[in-house]
Amino acid sequence: MSQVAVDKTIDARGTYCPGPLMELIKTLKTAPLQSVIEVWSSDSGSSTDIPVWVKKAGHEFVYSIEEKGYWRIAVRKAR
Amino acid sequence: MEQTPKLAVVLLSSELEKLHAGALMGSVASMSGMTVYMFVSMDALEQFRKDVITEKRFKTGVVGPMLLEKEVPLFYDLIRQGIELGNLHLYACALAMDVMDWKKEELIDEVEGIIGVNQFFGLAEGAQIMTI
Repeated sequence: MSQVAVDKTIDARGTYCPGPLMELIKTLKTAPLQSVIEVWSSDSGSSTDIPVWVKKAGHEFVYSIEEKGYWRIAVRKAR
Repeated sequence: MEQTPKLAVVLLSSELEKLHAGALMGSVASMSGMTVYMFVSMDALEQFRKDVITEKRFKTGVVGPMLLEKEVPLFYDLIRQGIELGNLHLYACALAMDVMDWKKEELIDEVEGIIGVNQFFGLAEGAQIMTI
């Protein structure tokens, strides 16, 4: 599995689209450059929507791992 | 300097589902770096009155009752986030305000101004326009 060190985890389980994305964006705004943020989402729409946003926003998509009933999506702040 | 892409969202319907969809797209666009102008007119405008929101006088179809039951952040929450975390501007239509004799203070505080169609066209110039 992935050996990436996660700097901050956001648990956005239980929120609906675009809740997890909004939480991620809020956190990315203040996070240091190159830090890795992992967001937990139980919303399946966000699991496909977040990677698209990450690429468009110029950050680095690290991984999306499906757990039981939720996804762990990691992003590296690139700018 | 390169201009950021612009999106204009025109909200006309009082249906909670349509307000939610428009607010969701507007706020995500704003937080993704677009400049977003939302223009609220006709029946949609009543739903931006403080009394309507406080008393939860929403008009729902099939999905709306579940949005309420599951306590999903509603259109005004999404718009507020779009303003706070991006570049979103919310305007009310001058015609509807005049005809209904409503005052700006009766609308939610996120409403930046009361504007007419010409001002809206000026802001929305070059933008993609969605009407909901």
